[in-house]
Amino acid sequence: MRAFVPGIFARSEALVQATRDLDRGRTAAEAVDEQLERDRRELVAVQEDAGLDLLSDGLLRWQDLFRPLAEAAEGLSARPLVRFLDTNTFFRAVLVEGKPRLRRPLPAPELPKGRWLATLPSPLAFARATDGALDARTLAAEVLAPQIEAYAAGGCALIVLSEPFLASGERSGDLVAALEELPKVLPLALWLPFSDASPVLEKLAEAPVSAVGIDFYLTSLDALPQDYPKEIMAGVIDARSSRIEDPADIREFVEQLLPRSSAGVSLTQNGDLQFVSEPIAREKIARLAGARTPVQEAA
Amino acid sequence: MSSDKLHLLTHEVGSLAKPPWLVKASAGRPLEDEDIEHARRWGERLEVSGHEELVESLRTPAPDPEELGRWSSRYALRLLESAGLDVVYDGEQQRTEMYAWAVAHANGFEPRGTVRSFDNKYYSKSAVTGPISLREPYHNDELRFLQSVAQAELKIPITGAYTLAVWSYDERYGPQKGRLGAGVRREDELRARREFALDIARDLIRPNLEALIGLGAGWIQIDEPGASTEPDELDIFVESFNASVEGLDCLFSTHLCFSDYELFFPAIERMSGCRQYAVGFANYDTRELGVAGDKRPGYQVISRFRDLSYEPILGLGVLDIHSDWIEPAELVRDRILYALDVFGDPARIHVTPDCGLRTRSWDVAYEKLVRMVEGTRLAEHELERAHAAPAAR
Repeated sequence: MRAFVPGIFARSEALVQATRDLDRGRTAAEAVDEQLERDRRELVAVQEDAGLDLLSDGLLRWQDLFRPLAEAAEGLSARPLVRFLDTNTFFRAVLVEGKPRLRRPLPAPELPKGRWLATLPSPLAFARATDGALDARTLAAEVLAPQIEAYAAGGCALIVLSEPFLASGERSGDLVAALEELPKVLPLALWLPFSDASPVLEKLAEAPVSAVGIDFYLTSLDALPQDYPKEIMAGVIDARSSRIEDPADIREFVEQLLPRSSAGVSLTQNGDLQFVSEPIAREKIARLAGARTPVQEAA
Repeated sequence: MSSDKLHLLTHEVGSLAKPPWLVKASAGRPLEDEDIEHARRWGERLEVSGHEELVESLRTPAPDPEELGRWSSRYALRLLESAGLDVVYDGEQQRTEMYAWAVAHANGFEPRGTVRSFDNKYYSKSAVTGPISLREPYHNDELRFLQSVAQAELKIPITGAYTLAVWSYDERYGPQKGRLGAGVRREDELRARREFALDIARDLIRPNLEALIGLGAGWIQIDEPGASTEPDELDIFVESFNASVEGLDCLFSTHLCFSDYELFFPAIERMSGCRQYAVGFANYDTRELGVAGDKRPGYQVISRFRDLSYEPILGLGVLDIHSDWIEPAELVRDRILYALDVFGDPARIHVTPDCGLRTRSWDVAYEKLVRMVEGTRLAEHELERAHAAPAAR
């Protein structure tokens, strides 16, 4: 049973201070770059020490889920602040100023080839960030597809497509159609952070992805159809709670989950770990790993 | 303000950046020449009485951080007064941050670290772990000091109950065990949040408000930037506001920002104790001049505030606080004229920035505020001209 942590990770207190200082003209961009690199190395070490199967760079340079792609694409820019779900964290809405085209893909992170995952917005989430000015298929074909090709060439093992809005009313049919536009050069997982996935699970069984990420703090296990045909990326760590999970509770839950999936289970968190502070996020990774080992042995 | 001349009241909304000499000295970091030069330059520019004394103290090995906090309050107060605002405060110079300051003076909370809000902006976050109560009134010293040095009228910003609740982790009120795989029971979450927010309102905010009123506070702005976080909790926001202020003798207003403001309706129809809403709109607006609706997309929602039966004043946000771009006075004018046209009653419009300007440098904040006041005067002039010669419009 694999375990990994996609999404935007929490910044350390040192990085928080460095970026604050940068904004106020008290330090140079080079100093922030150095601290970002220290944070990245420490995060990778934490994941390796925990024995996670795929590594993430924590998107520590990403301001939000959409901005790096918006800035790397012709025809897109980012400006007004929009609240991200029901959190006190905001993203900048994507403004459409022309036909979108990825100018140059974002570089692959410095991680061991074949052992890293990337997180990107799902096409529908990206379209939602444009407030409907662009459709999901266009964004999938013109921006996400070339980015996925580039990550594949850089040794990526899994693309996690983050889709926080689907369960709150976006159209799953549009999402499935947009996902068809993406290259099948490596496995795709559709992750539904901080959402009750119940209303969309049946439809997503048909989606061209290998795994579906489910927040099991908001989704009842009873809502998961028997013999679900996709790998379940089980969100068993609550990324919005300061409470540290008990690995025994997670193991007990996973034992109930395993018989329901015909394509396997992997363990992850229910959303980006940037919603807790870095020490708590780090401890949650350790608990995730602690929950996984005995389950794996039992399996 | 003369009784026969139109005067639109201008005010700030909350925070200003802290000067580098305060930040570094408070953190025990050494000051550099440019920090001391900042104090000298702004002291002269704002004509802060006795600022030479501050500059001298900054050259000493360990200046008193509390004294520096009071100097910073004087500077910020003068910055706002000098920009021409009618109602001011001190940009919250002596507070750590709007959430952290309140929680640090309350019982029942424990710190849980720093979380990003957006870009390189963060906030500290605590968890509620025990019974909530006021440890000590936490704006009294600040208010007493500002009353002794302010020339303009004061409005005290205070963080509201609902925002404190929704920005905290809950380790006390909601279900803590058995959540994994159980699915959400929203009614349980709502019950927990209501209990939490109302405890804060009654046992933390209200006694703090009473203390401020006892010192002579005439206008208190209850900041609720988190108010629309959960659209189905707006009733809880309203109940917590009402529980905070009901029966208290003071002008209460609230500040809302960076939300889909349509969400607040109809919930705030029951918030008649709120006499003014200071709301950020410029962030959503164009930079084009013009008073027609299509030029002012950020302000389309203001008619909802106009139609509230208890006729509150609208604090009209006209400065985008997330940009260094200085709004021309003419753009401020047109935003105001649009609002005046929608409201039809100048007495119900005040002019404000979208939010606190703490993410901008003092240079940028000052220029923005000066243009805001200029734009307000232009709008008054335009309105008076229109009234004097209605046929010419």
